[in-house]
Amino acid sequence: MVIDFAVQSFLTGRLWLREHIPFNSNIIDAHIATGNIKVIPGIKKEKSFLYKTIFQCNRCQNNTPSRFTVFDCAKCEGPCVYCRHCLKMGRVSYCTTLIAWNGPEPAFPKSHLLAWEGKLTPLQQIASHELFESTIRNRPHLIHAVCGAGKTEILFKPIYKMLLKGKRVCIAAPRVDVILELEPRLRVAFPTTKIAALYGGAIVENELSQLILATTHQLYRFQEAFDVIFVDEADAFPYTADETLRRAVKKAAKENAPIHSVTATPSKKLLYQMRREGSVSTINRRFHGYSLPVPRYESLWNYSAKIKKKKLPMKLIKWTEQRLIKEEPFLIFFHNIILMEEAEPLFKTLDRRIKSVHASNENRKEFVQKLRDKEIPGLLTTTILERGITIPNVQVAVVGAEHGIFTSGALVQIGGRVGRSSVYPSGDFVLFHHGISHAMDDAKREILRLNKGGASL
Amino acid sequence: MTECLLCDVELLTKPSWKTLLALDDEMVLCRECLSEFKLSNQQIENPTLKKVTSLYEYNDAMRDYLHQYKFLQDIALAKVFKYELHNVLKSKTNIIPIPMHPNRKVKRTFSHVEELLKCARISYSDVLEKKDDETMGKKSKIERLALAPLFRLKPEVVIKNESYMLIDDIYTTGTTLRHAAALLIEAGAREVEAVTLIRARLND
Ligand SMILES: [Zn+2]
Ligand SMILES: [Zn+2]
Ligand SMILES: [Zn+2]
Repeated sequence: MVIDFAVQSFLTGRLWLREHIPFNSNIIDAHIATGNIKVIPGIKKEKSFLYKTIFQCNRCQNNTPSRFTVFDCAKCEGPCVYCRHCLKMGRVSYCTTLIAWNGPEPAFPKSHLLAWEGKLTPLQQIASHELFESTIRNRPHLIHAVCGAGKTEILFKPIYKMLLKGKRVCIAAPRVDVILELEPRLRVAFPTTKIAALYGGAIVENELSQLILATTHQLYRFQEAFDVIFVDEADAFPYTADETLRRAVKKAAKENAPIHSVTATPSKKLLYQMRREGSVSTINRRFHGYSLPVPRYESLWNYSAKIKKKKLPMKLIKWTEQRLIKEEPFLIFFHNIILMEEAEPLFKTLDRRIKSVHASNENRKEFVQKLRDKEIPGLLTTTILERGITIPNVQVAVVGAEHGIFTSGALVQIGGRVGRSSVYPSGDFVLFHHGISHAMDDAKREILRLNKGGASL
Repeated sequence: MTECLLCDVELLTKPSWKTLLALDDEMVLCRECLSEFKLSNQQIENPTLKKVTSLYEYNDAMRDYLHQYKFLQDIALAKVFKYELHNVLKSKTNIIPIPMHPNRKVKRTFSHVEELLKCARISYSDVLEKKDDETMGKKSKIERLALAPLFRLKPEVVIKNESYMLIDDIYTTGTTLRHAAALLIEAGAREVEAVTLIRARLND
């Protein structure tokens, strides 16, 4: 039985559309014939008790009827159906096949280097140890650590020890920004390990990677691949809203492999579930030991109408000018894109270099880097930058903090951007509002609670 | 619950007398996505084609739409312009879609022009056939377009001395439509018009 090493490397743990596979069809057929590749139909059809057909996509696990389209197919010459949920990864229909590796698993290297030279705080050390203990016991674990506690460093040791055992490890996050921020840090920490970062638009590598950083979306394309998965920012949109993403993470884990969660703002449900089924490590101090910045409220009456009339409210002008004079990088959060785009030219009259970013903005990564490099004085942003990013000495304002999109969790995360570095452990975190919401008060109370040492919830 | 076919936002369908009487349009796109498309009322005339009417301009939204519809094979999107197509074609007869090569149709799994018409509830006759590329030898693409006909009539098709209406998704240089129109005129059609969903700007 001949195994093509390249095919094995590419397909191990993956679930791939056969027509997208970067290998010759004959080679794939030969592996199917020997049972080293298994073939899975794209869509599973089942009859329900009312004789209605129920579909499930075997790639993304979607089973919502409205997310399928039935059509008259010219390829299979009959009624066919496709999944609209994962369409952008290449269409999966009833007559397309998915393939997965079914042969012997390749051996992963057991020699790795952890090159991180920092030192964990005692709290980080305890959490890191507890996380590893849970990992070897195949038990899910929640790292509940305030923004700026140094969550990523807590993961280093457990990841390293798993790599040394020849295990395959995945860090998944709902947001691409988080992956982009993690990638360079992990490449520095694990310089000899084969690492792949997967997100929409990233180049698909054919090599076999042992440590994979991926958006949760990308895990649609994995099956029984990982010995452990760390879900970073496990409470972020769309992970909590889209059931298929949670199924995808489960599907990507090997049987019994633990799925850990890491976040500063776990939902009550996640906290409860982890306390019951797994274990929890809590860190309510930032790694540098300073307190979390407490939000301050500033009224900004009728800001929306003023911006529409092409006038920036005076308080907002003053705040921005202060940042420009002091040369402090800043982020100004908006609740919607339209308002932000109306405000952008007004901010540009204060400084031409001010830019705006949102979810479908391709320059986001570049602008964030320019903000860090001080080439851009400040960015206007939607909640897309609420988490995952670190910019030394950044000052943060929220315009329209009373809006529903700014949940208490979102506000805690946004405030978490401030004072992250030990050189600049504090900074301004101001909520400009047209009326104070419960979420604003909840966020403030939560931050004060954590600063007092985190009396239990 | 229905969602916008392009951005997945939930569509709020308010019950009204119109929906109760089933007179209202079935919503498939949200307001925002809909507003991205720019209507066009371009009409072009030339010797072979009496008139070409294009419904929309080619812009970013239309580029994304075509990408998702044709390249990502999202047939659900055939519905998006059904009312507009229905309105412009409902009183027309002898409607003929520009065909795809059979191999390409199998590969795409559907004919994008025919699906547009099906969703618009417009009946058509697919009397044209795309010729094989291979038979055209080694000439450059430009030479081929200028010389060899792109289409032929299916066997036993009779073209009457009437007005015909060709349908295509996009009008770019007009070569495709002129080829099809010339063929129909030669076969006895009195005149040929065309409707395309989109009119592309040539300088792009
Ligand atoms: Zn799917
Ligand atoms: Zn089919
Ligand atoms: Zn939409």
